[in-house]
Amino acid sequence: MEPALELKAVTKTFGEMRAVDTLHLVVPRGAMYGVIGPSGAGKTTAIRMIMSILFPDSGALSVLGRSSALDAKDRIGYLPEERGVYRKMRVGAFLSYIGQLKGVSAEDASVRASRLLARLGLAETERKKLEDLSKGMLQRVQFVGAIINQPDLLILDEPFGGLDPLSVRLLRDLIAEEHRRGATILFSTHIMAHAEEMCQHVVMIHKGRKVLDEPMVGLRRQYDTRTIRLEPLDPRADLSPLRTLAGVEHVNVVDEGCEIRIGAGTDPADAIRSVAAIVAPARIELARVRLEDVFIRLVTEGDGAQESESVLRANLQGLEQVS
Amino acid sequence: MKKIGLIAAREFVTTVTTTGFLIGLLIMPALFALVGLLAPRILNARSPQVRGDVALIDLTGQVTGELRTSLDPATIEARRAENLRRTMGEAVPGVGQATSATAAAQRAIGGQVPALRIVERPAGATEADVQREKDWLVTQAADERHLALIVIHPDAIVRAGGRPEFGSYDLYVSATLDDATESVIYEGLRLAIVSARLAASNLDRVAIEATMRVARPQSVIVAADGEQRAQRGFTRTLPFILGILLFMGVMVGGQTLMTSTIEEKSSRVVEVLLAAVSPLELMAGKLLGQLGVGLLVMAVYVGLGILALFQFAMLGLLDPMLVVYLLVFFLITYLVFGALMVSIGAAVNQMAEAQALMGPVMLLLVAPYILTPVIGRAPNSTFSVVVSFIPPVNTFAMMARLASGTPPPAWQVWLTVLVGLAAACAAVWFAAKVFKIGLLMHGKPPNFATLVRWARAA
Repeated sequence: MEPALELKAVTKTFGEMRAVDTLHLVVPRGAMYGVIGPSGAGKTTAIRMIMSILFPDSGALSVLGRSSALDAKDRIGYLPEERGVYRKMRVGAFLSYIGQLKGVSAEDASVRASRLLARLGLAETERKKLEDLSKGMLQRVQFVGAIINQPDLLILDEPFGGLDPLSVRLLRDLIAEEHRRGATILFSTHIMAHAEEMCQHVVMIHKGRKVLDEPMVGLRRQYDTRTIRLEPLDPRADLSPLRTLAGVEHVNVVDEGCEIRIGAGTDPADAIRSVAAIVAPARIELARVRLEDVFIRLVTEGDGAQESESVLRANLQGLEQVS
Repeated sequence: MKKIGLIAAREFVTTVTTTGFLIGLLIMPALFALVGLLAPRILNARSPQVRGDVALIDLTGQVTGELRTSLDPATIEARRAENLRRTMGEAVPGVGQATSATAAAQRAIGGQVPALRIVERPAGATEADVQREKDWLVTQAADERHLALIVIHPDAIVRAGGRPEFGSYDLYVSATLDDATESVIYEGLRLAIVSARLAASNLDRVAIEATMRVARPQSVIVAADGEQRAQRGFTRTLPFILGILLFMGVMVGGQTLMTSTIEEKSSRVVEVLLAAVSPLELMAGKLLGQLGVGLLVMAVYVGLGILALFQFAMLGLLDPMLVVYLLVFFLITYLVFGALMVSIGAAVNQMAEAQALMGPVMLLLVAPYILTPVIGRAPNSTFSVVVSFIPPVNTFAMMARLASGTPPPAWQVWLTVLVGLAAACAAVWFAAKVFKIGLLMHGKPPNFATLVRWARAA
């Protein structure tokens, strides 16, 4: 089956700046892809080109088997980063309008709008004007607008930007739901934690270039840090015997337990067994790789650490959400 | 196509259902009514009565008495009432019989009749005497104003031996004399001298005046559908009215088009829309929706106008083809200006930035108001013909010519339509390019040169 999305050497320049530089990308049908990278990396430009809102200077792309998203707009759901509404319109009317613009019949659109609003706990807002909604509510309404046509491809540009944790969780569930329904999902974020939790596949962009394109599973394997996280069953358990265990290089005591660094040549499975035998664990696991670390490593190795690591980290943790 | 319809419908409904639109729709007629009612009162508010002395050196000795009569306030007032009765009688049938009420109203409009005191100076005065009187004119006393000095020439009443023409008079006035009073003095002098001449020739003034007067009746247009009193005023103002209608329709639609585009852009709803429709569809839908708004406005005003004509039984004066032409020219003009407005809306980030770009467009839109009087006076002059082929003012020019007494040949009308359509196509093409690029451009507001560059790049 043809991929849901394919970009071949797509490049876009604004004046002197190369916003997107020979980007190749293939998103298979039914996948959940995360595009990550700091603010200004070129994520939005790439997405706008996928949506045929901008057009590449060179390169080719295909969306749902068409050479342009213009031919498939009714089958795409899109939540732009800069998402607005007609403030004077009523919620129900707005969603119905957006639905109809995407080829949904008037009746279906209003039925779906009501159902989705109810699902999001916004049933009572249907008759309200959009300007009377809180920001979190607005974001949910906008998400409903993006999925009202039951899209085959759902593109979300920074869907979690500026959301409170509760709304983030709600939105994450909805995205997962759409994914289960069969939609291919591509979302961008500069907050790595979101991508870590949600996507099956990660694409990292930095300064318009793709620096990583890997499934999460492979990433975890590839970047395993040989660290075991232990949370003892008894919080007051003595952790010192671990330091003398064969193969253990270092034990770092943290809040709920400790991080045990094992040396090269030691099998992590054996190490876990040995550790568990000494201290009864409430939880024991191999530390999962953090995308943030991967990214920082890639970027700083790649181009001679032009940017300070702390700045990158701050950006990726969402400390600078006002992008 | 369906999407364009959806966008157009939304655009139309959101515009028409605002209270602002309703107020805007009604404010024009209301304003006209208000101006019609208030203007005469405001513009001709009573000014204080002019009082003062007029020195008279009557070298004929025959004018003084007549002048006293003709400058008497009561005579002046009677004369005004009589003039009014005549002009009104000619202009509007049925008003001829001036009632005391209208006369009073018109007295108010004409301002207070001046109270002039004639001060006789000894006749046979020399140059020195005249000079003394001039000095008198310059010295202004606190309690009485010195307004004017009249020197009646000796041959003003009886021609000097063998000359074909009568003599006249010299009028010296104070610097503070107002125009209205000066006219009163001129008119008084004319009447007094004529009276004196008639008396000197032993002619009957009343008989002569009656002989000179020929009443000017209303001309009657004889047409296939019956007779009609010609309303010169109507045919003269029709080009203006149609021009204003054209302007209004274009302005209402165009202005809203611009503001709604700016709003969509600044509220960032535009990217949501662009995910569903192409920029061209969006623009076409918006143009179409506001076209509907403009048509509605025109329909209301044309409807009111026709109703008014019907009320005054003047409907036959309006050529139905003019309404058809109005519609055609409205479509063309709207497309040209609407396209420009929508591209301005797409190019800027907020209303304030739009002003700079709006300037030239507004200039083009009001230019017809300067042209219409010129064209109305000579609808088939070279100037008029040329202007009716230069977009975007061609439609206004042709509208004025069509509404005039001597309509242009058919080929010129068709040429205007063709040129107009070409201009509309060009404007829409330009707008489509600018619209596409501008919608997602934020930051420094562009100037016209930038817009042209966008249009060429896209």
